[in-house]
Amino acid sequence: MNRRTLLGGLFAAASVPALSACASGITSLENQGGTASGGGSSKGGVTIGTANFTENQVLGCLYAAVLTAAGVKTNVRPNLGTREILIPAIKGGDIDLLPEYQGALLHYLDPKATATEEGEMQNALAVALPAGLQVLPYGMAEDSDAFVVTRETAKKYGLTSLADLKKQNGRLVIGAAPEVKKRQVGVVGLKDVYRVEFKEFKSLDSSGPLVKGALKKGDVDVANLFTTDTDIQANDWVVLTDPENLIPGQHVVPLIADRKADSTVRKALARLGNVLTTAQLTELNRQVDKDKKDPEDVANAYARQHGLA
Amino acid sequence: MYELFKHLGGWLTSGAQWSGSDGITHRLAEHLQYSLVATLIAAAIGLPLGLLIGHTGKGAFLAINLASFGRALPTVGLVVLVFLAGGLSMLPVYVALVALAVPAIVTNTYAGMTAVDPDVKDAARGQGMRGHQVLFQVELPLALPLIMTGLRLALIQVVATATIAAYVSFGGLGRYVFDGLAQRDLVQVLGGAVLVAVVAVVLDLLLSTLQRFLFRHRTA
Repeated sequence: MNRRTLLGGLFAAASVPALSACASGITSLENQGGTASGGGSSKGGVTIGTANFTENQVLGCLYAAVLTAAGVKTNVRPNLGTREILIPAIKGGDIDLLPEYQGALLHYLDPKATATEEGEMQNALAVALPAGLQVLPYGMAEDSDAFVVTRETAKKYGLTSLADLKKQNGRLVIGAAPEVKKRQVGVVGLKDVYRVEFKEFKSLDSSGPLVKGALKKGDVDVANLFTTDTDIQANDWVVLTDPENLIPGQHVVPLIADRKADSTVRKALARLGNVLTTAQLTELNRQVDKDKKDPEDVANAYARQHGLA
Repeated sequence: MYELFKHLGGWLTSGAQWSGSDGITHRLAEHLQYSLVATLIAAAIGLPLGLLIGHTGKGAFLAINLASFGRALPTVGLVVLVFLAGGLSMLPVYVALVALAVPAIVTNTYAGMTAVDPDVKDAARGQGMRGHQVLFQVELPLALPLIMTGLRLALIQVVATATIAAYVSFGGLGRYVFDGLAQRDLVQVLGGAVLVAVVAVVLDLLLSTLQRFLFRHRTA
């Protein structure tokens, strides 16, 4: 997944020592032998890796906050890069836990995967993952692709869902990252599933300043953004609904090495997943991106507020 | 590595790759068009400026420093800045390319003008030539080789940088580089990069040959 590459990681990197320092006096409630059951043990501590964009770092810090509160020693290694680096690192044992996204992870592991519904994807992931790795239950928060129009465009053409776009075939201009032109979750799928044909495809960036600037100025009518992009709310833009489930679910899901997946870790992460909503995650991203706050502080404050730490 | 170059050979030689709106022929034409337009605009700005400060000897410090400033501007940053201010058009691309090309033209024109022997200028004035006559009949012809070098350098830099047009959704050979990167198609990235390099080198060779032919009677 090629998402926003931001400097957030640098801030997080600076704060790692402080984070590990507060995880003193480990009293793991669970003491799993980890032999017959094949279950792992988090006794030696859990190393959390994160990808090179803000939201993933926020999630990594949230994982650290709830695990530390559960008595697990944690160590965050932020901003490691893309999936091409992270997956080999977790397989090789350099990191133990990664905040992941259902659909994107599944398509990385199995490019031909067809599942788009959350439960199906969870099952498909269990099959596709290499030995030694597993996904824990997915959370409520979701960061998926979205096709967005301005409020005026929505009114002018009567757009609420992707299906409405075909009434304006040959009239609308879409702006997105270059890869979206040839992706299923993009021009290809919109044509196959919704019979939508655009007047023009403008190659811009991935939910970044170019595509958002072009949408704001009216240079493109439809833009491909991420649902947790704070500018959607800020500008009162309209996310077109997806009645045919073209866009796979992208719920946040913890990817963990079997060796560390004991019930303390599972419970702590499941509780977080059950509390954190998409809107809240968006707000946390905004605090890091716009207010320039430290992802670790933002995550800790959230965990305390919601009784997770 | 060998595989990559084999695929590159296939990519460059397949007939389908050369035709159509995403074909090499069309992209090459766009690339040359952007480069020539940007260099012409830059020449229209840089030449008079260089001639003026070279002839009068005034404002050289300011002009040369401003030119260096233009050279130090990050091109992509400038594109994004103008884009956010003015919206989606070729304007951001041309602004960035012109800012890149003007310095080479101004500094070389100025250098050519100052290299003209003061005795020659004195002699010209002594014969009763007016200022503009000295400029156009004495200084300019003598400074021409360096002025040409400036134009050549500017054009080569612009050709190598015009790939950024693709960054803001336009065409040119940069299309292959940006699309290839986004689609993880290394052959396409390499193909685009090789084509840009070839165009730059070929243009440079052509222009330097032309330059040598035009000034073949001069020693310096």
